[in-house]
Amino acid sequence: MRNRKRTGWHRVINGLNISAFVVVLFVGLPLYWLIASSFKTASNLGDSPPQYFPNPISVQNYHDAFVTYDFGIYFRNSLIISIVATALVLTVGTMAGYALGRLPMRGKFSLMVTLLIISVFPAIAVVAPLYLLLRDLGWLNSYQGLILVYTAFNLPFAIWILRNYMLGIPKEMEETSRIDGAGPIRTVWTIILPMALPGVFTAGIFCFTACWTEFLFALTFNSANNYRTIPVGIAEFGTVFTVPYGTIFAASVVAVVPIGILVFIFRKFVISGLTSGAVKG
Amino acid sequence: MTTISSAAEEAPVAAPLVGRPDVNRKRMARLGWMFAAPALIIVGAVTIFPIIYSVVISLSNAEVSGNGISLNGFTTSNYSLVLKNSTWHYALAFTIIYTLVTVIVELVLGTLIALVLERLTAGRGAMMALLLIPWSMITVINAELWGYIYQGTYGVADAVLNAVGLGSPNILGQSTSAIIGLMIADIWKTTPFVAIIVLAGLVMLPGDVYEAAEVDGSSGWSTFWRITVPLLRPTLALAVLFRVLQAFGLFDLPYVLTNGGPGTATTSLAILGYNAIFKNLSYGPGAAVATTTALLVLLGCLLSLRTFRVQVGKEGN
Amino acid sequence: MATVDLQQVNKVYENGFHAVKDLTLDVAEGEFMVLVGPSGCGKTTALRMVAGLEDITSGTLRIGGKVVNDETPKERDIAMVFQNYALYPHMTVAENIGFALKLRKTPKADITAKVKDTAEILGLTEWLDRKPGQLSGGQRQRVAMGRAIVREPSVFLMDEPLSNLDAKLRVQMRAEVQRIQRRINVATFYVTHDQVEAMTMGDRVAVMRAGVLQQVAHPQRLYDHPDNLFVAAFIGSPAMNLYEASMTEDAGAVKIGSQELPLPVLCREDHPGLARYANKKIAVGLRPEHLPAATGTGTGPPLTGNVDLIEALGSELVVHFTIDARRVRAEGATSDDEDATAHHGEGVARVDPATKVKVGEKITFAVNTVGMQFFDLETEQAIWD
Repeated sequence: MRNRKRTGWHRVINGLNISAFVVVLFVGLPLYWLIASSFKTASNLGDSPPQYFPNPISVQNYHDAFVTYDFGIYFRNSLIISIVATALVLTVGTMAGYALGRLPMRGKFSLMVTLLIISVFPAIAVVAPLYLLLRDLGWLNSYQGLILVYTAFNLPFAIWILRNYMLGIPKEMEETSRIDGAGPIRTVWTIILPMALPGVFTAGIFCFTACWTEFLFALTFNSANNYRTIPVGIAEFGTVFTVPYGTIFAASVVAVVPIGILVFIFRKFVISGLTSGAVKG
Repeated sequence: MTTISSAAEEAPVAAPLVGRPDVNRKRMARLGWMFAAPALIIVGAVTIFPIIYSVVISLSNAEVSGNGISLNGFTTSNYSLVLKNSTWHYALAFTIIYTLVTVIVELVLGTLIALVLERLTAGRGAMMALLLIPWSMITVINAELWGYIYQGTYGVADAVLNAVGLGSPNILGQSTSAIIGLMIADIWKTTPFVAIIVLAGLVMLPGDVYEAAEVDGSSGWSTFWRITVPLLRPTLALAVLFRVLQAFGLFDLPYVLTNGGPGTATTSLAILGYNAIFKNLSYGPGAAVATTTALLVLLGCLLSLRTFRVQVGKEGN
Repeated sequence: MATVDLQQVNKVYENGFHAVKDLTLDVAEGEFMVLVGPSGCGKTTALRMVAGLEDITSGTLRIGGKVVNDETPKERDIAMVFQNYALYPHMTVAENIGFALKLRKTPKADITAKVKDTAEILGLTEWLDRKPGQLSGGQRQRVAMGRAIVREPSVFLMDEPLSNLDAKLRVQMRAEVQRIQRRINVATFYVTHDQVEAMTMGDRVAVMRAGVLQQVAHPQRLYDHPDNLFVAAFIGSPAMNLYEASMTEDAGAVKIGSQELPLPVLCREDHPGLARYANKKIAVGLRPEHLPAATGTGTGPPLTGNVDLIEALGSELVVHFTIDARRVRAEGATSDDEDATAHHGEGVARVDPATKVKVGEKITFAVNTVGMQFFDLETEQAIWD
């Protein structure tokens, strides 16, 4: 027998399935519109009133995205930058998260608060100096420039998540390991890290998503065609006069699908990550 | 050999025993700094240093050329320029109002959705997965999608509005409708995210409290307001905080959907700053805009942090 | 194989808290030493100092005759079982047990052999490939022990390892732990707050209170010959009845409330020091088991009380009674909750189940003076000679 919690809406929402359906419509309709439009021909896209179902179904847009436009390049760039930045964040962040969570350091709390504040800083505040800095380094329109920036800006949140997971590990683990004879680094890699793996996945998926979807920095630093990431690429499709919606949507579907799958697979971690910070910390 | 020791009050040692910090602790602390150093260095170099630099620029007569930036002395003229600028006033008001409206709507809608989901037994997992898609979507893509929907000639929004007799307005061409359109796009993308957070919070509420309320005779609404909402408050509070602070950086959506327009109707603080710096090359004023925005975020952060210090501080040490 | 020797060991924390005061204690090879006391008495701190998990503020710690104050846990060759077992959840039982050996670069074949032997001793052979999450509490506890004994350490340390088990299992495991300890014959330091556990398991028991060692002796001696009020009240269940009393002028009898108990010659010979307390107030201790009903075969001086409550256990009757005397409390020996509900003059006695007694009536005990204890009210020390 299910333990029913009455959150107070019991009488109002009798049509539970209806409400659920409404929610599905709310989320699903625009998504449907996105996908459907990607399969419309260029002329059908401009129909007024609009075609509610593509007829004929055409994959021309997908072809154009990769052949006429350089979506393939953008996809590759996004992939490389996101994966490398995420890997860096996880490596460096795990060590920091461990230190801030389980080692006796003075000023730990202030550090955490500072990191937290940094993580909510609007990108606009730093984009100008970073632009100049990267320009001086010759790292505009490169991989390393964006990777460095993404790593730095995703670390605070990742450290926060990782630290929380590490805090959940019983204190005796390190002591036992010490008595068994393992040094501190060995203890972290062999004992603590495997136990904090869910946290690593959570931080990883958040970081990847953040890198994949970031716009302002990518727009500013990597404007050259060869180094554009997906968001910038899609935004710059077409000219002032023509907006090739079909191609845009085709590219969008290709962009949304992999991250959608990733997030679906790791949804347990995403959800726990969203709530662990908010609820218990 | 049995050594029996009774309470030994007088120790023959001359000096009283003082608490010394553990040698071990010091070793561990040093290790901690070593472990945390790489992360702290990277973050510091890429965030703190540029922030300071931005403040410096905002206080100089900055000129940017092909070779770099020359600072040309200290001045507060950038700030006076910005603070007197009507576009900035508008951007500030717009950003704040935009934030308030979207966050409140997202909160209400998100909670409603979460309440619905919470009673769902089968398919909750699939629903949550569905809700994650808008969250993981690239904002630019979202902007393009809604741009197509709002398109003046062939957008489906007009078709729907026409069908219900509201005519076919050029949504993105007029200030008010453009702003509303922008908000709707944002709300669509972010509400599911709020719903998930609220849902997770709901799921963790203790069931026996509700049973006690039922026994005490509490009705649906009363239960909701007197029990659910207060218990949910910490969950919501932190989520709202992050959302609000993040909303000050509003950039992606207006840039792609309306390009800050029509005119400057949807020019947020971040768009204003970006245009000033990269389109007009007015680094000084642009940096002033950026810095004031950051200060606003910081202010909001500190204010809320004081309120939530109990939460954060409890496990901070 | 080694001995453990603590000399004047102190632990003072950074904030000034003096957790362990001048602890001097030794454990012989193969001896099972139990450290017992209420929470916060410093027993766990002492154990952790022996382990090397806490720094020693002053004093010397020797293991096997060598001073080890500054050595790391690994160097001290100790093994420890924690209260929460601290098993590595992502490793199998076999990997958990063999971890320390792996760290010491023991050849794989040896590791497998030793793990197998250890598993056999503990009855874990069929569980070697499972992960801790799939085991019951008792099995996890055995894995924790296995991890400790496989290394053949010089010293065995255990920090309340049975506290997380349910009552019945705990009693079973007590025997198990003792059996294993005798088999490996290593000096063992065992910490617990449960005095029953201490009494049943230890070769010697060290009672601690607020960082100070009260008494260390064979369990029977602690029971028969407590050095002070605290040890007397702490050891034994149900706890000893302690009352304020006064010695008569000729030190030949003790007056408890309104009743005077003449002390037999044997009793006075065992406690010659009582003579110094003529006409003075002392504390008198009577264990519940030393208060048989007068209607039985007891021949001691009578003590009468009003019956408040009778618990029939089948093997005996536990009679809660009141006399018109004042109770003496040994600080820290009983919990605050117990003290809150105790009133003046209450006492507990264990009598023969056939005794005819009813609530509200009076009952007379034939006090067994051999077990009687006497204490100085101010110093709380036992009065012997």
